[in-house]
Amino acid sequence: MTAPDYMAPESVGRFEQRALGAGIAGVLACGICFFLYRDQFADRFFHSYLIAFMFVLGLSLGSLGLLMLQHLTGGHWGIMTRRPLESATRVLPVVAVFFLPIAIFGMKHLYGEWLNAPAKGEGSLSDLQKSYLTSSGFLIRAVIYFVVWLVLVFIFNRWSKEQDVNREDRALRRRMQMLAGPGIILYVFVMTFAAIDWVMSLSPHWASTIYGFLFVIGQMISSMSLMIAVLVLLSRTAPMEGVIQRRHLHDLGKLLLAFVMLWAYFGFSQLLIIWSGNLPEEISFYRTRLYGGWGVVAVFVLIFHFFVPFFSLLSRDLKRSAQMLPKIAVWLIFMRLVDLFWLTRPEFTSSAVPGLMDVAAILALAGIWFAVFARNLKTQPLLPLGDPKLEEAIEVHEY
Amino acid sequence: MIARRSHIYGVIGEFEKPEQLVHAAVKIREAGYRYYESYTPFPVEGLPEAMGMRRNMVPLITLLGGLVGGLGGFGFQYWANVYSYPMNIAGRPLNSWPAFIPVTFELTILCAALSAVLGMLALNGLPQPHHPIFNAHRFTHASADRFFVCIQARDKKFQLADTARFLQGLSAHHVSEVHDD
Repeated sequence: MTAPDYMAPESVGRFEQRALGAGIAGVLACGICFFLYRDQFADRFFHSYLIAFMFVLGLSLGSLGLLMLQHLTGGHWGIMTRRPLESATRVLPVVAVFFLPIAIFGMKHLYGEWLNAPAKGEGSLSDLQKSYLTSSGFLIRAVIYFVVWLVLVFIFNRWSKEQDVNREDRALRRRMQMLAGPGIILYVFVMTFAAIDWVMSLSPHWASTIYGFLFVIGQMISSMSLMIAVLVLLSRTAPMEGVIQRRHLHDLGKLLLAFVMLWAYFGFSQLLIIWSGNLPEEISFYRTRLYGGWGVVAVFVLIFHFFVPFFSLLSRDLKRSAQMLPKIAVWLIFMRLVDLFWLTRPEFTSSAVPGLMDVAAILALAGIWFAVFARNLKTQPLLPLGDPKLEEAIEVHEY
Repeated sequence: MIARRSHIYGVIGEFEKPEQLVHAAVKIREAGYRYYESYTPFPVEGLPEAMGMRRNMVPLITLLGGLVGGLGGFGFQYWANVYSYPMNIAGRPLNSWPAFIPVTFELTILCAALSAVLGMLALNGLPQPHHPIFNAHRFTHASADRFFVCIQARDKKFQLADTARFLQGLSAHHVSEVHDD
């Protein structure tokens, strides 16, 4: 009997085509919006595009974070998710291309508040802000961010591929582990700056030091949810049928619960400090987001991004269920979008109703992202065949 | 005076390797025994499953403890700040719920953790000053380098000679009876 090669089943190819179809539909919908909104189109487009961009960026970067986490800590869940994680990180070059419209056309539609800040008086920037928030600085930093992330993505994918060929090379595993620790620190550090540049600077007078962490953990949630959904889908057909077991789902569910709690912890820390201080500059963030229509969204996020997933994921049976766990996971991916909507949109409008433009932009970017992701899944075996712990990880246990 | 006859607690067998114990546990269960216990120097992976251990109440007790701690913690702060000793602090509402959350959170953790530990002890029937298993001759090795299994006399299938032979058949060493006092 020959060992299975664990190549992706045909369903991945069908998924790729469907995702691509959704992406094209999204692009066409953006075109319809152009005729619908005319003069307002550029503004509306970039307001929606930013959400979609941050979302797909999070899918790739969260996967990079999880990939390094599993290299660092080991564990069977990491071996099961490693190839999907690597496939998700390898979409990052496409995400970098997605950034170009923002860099070339979008800045004046998004960051007008600091681009056109008055030199003196109300709304003027401090000296530090004036030196940091410049369009050339913004662009140079964006290049640095993407270079750092892409280098990490490249190295980890390269080594992982080498491992498939050279199964006896234990030093390779050690090298990946050694790089993973500094890599995680680098990822969080760079993402903090990216979150400041791309999202927090929408309101340049407001600042929060935990903002980057909020994005990091949000990315982790969306990426972990994606992995759960992908693994459950793959487990339905050969070659992964019977390989992915309930104990793997259990581990992934536990991590998802931890990420949901961490997200709530970061979010509440920010609220508590700003609420206690009650300073005019800081509280503006929550003044716009906790009242009126945005208040409804805030409560929705609190209940459906925290309480419902939290109490559901406490259950052991749910974490081990191939029916329920992916439902919670997909729901959390949707809530990530709602959260991004709540974080960014109040800077532009008091209307908390998403429009056709939002659906179109998300459909376009996410569709393309998923198509490339599925394509990447097909290029390599679905399990890291060279990993010394693979046998142990796929061993069938009754429990 | 009638000499007190000691009762049999069970029959104990000894293994050198954890895998042998896991294997034996499966066989004992398959043979129809229900009341038996394993003793090992360290947690042996797969042993609870091999023994057919089912879910226990500890998670539920922990959840209830956490809920009591959380609701109690928030409720107490609410009562203190709104009814018992209302005070205007920097113009904030009396029910300043964001400020109550850290204490609520901590009390949830504290009560959940305490109920987990105490619930586990209670379900195990601990503390228990003495246990018949300590009468077993070589039992001190259970905390050093040997793995034991003891089939208890209260099991319906228990027959002293048969059970002892059965254990020996599973290649257990030093099979011996354990007295009750």
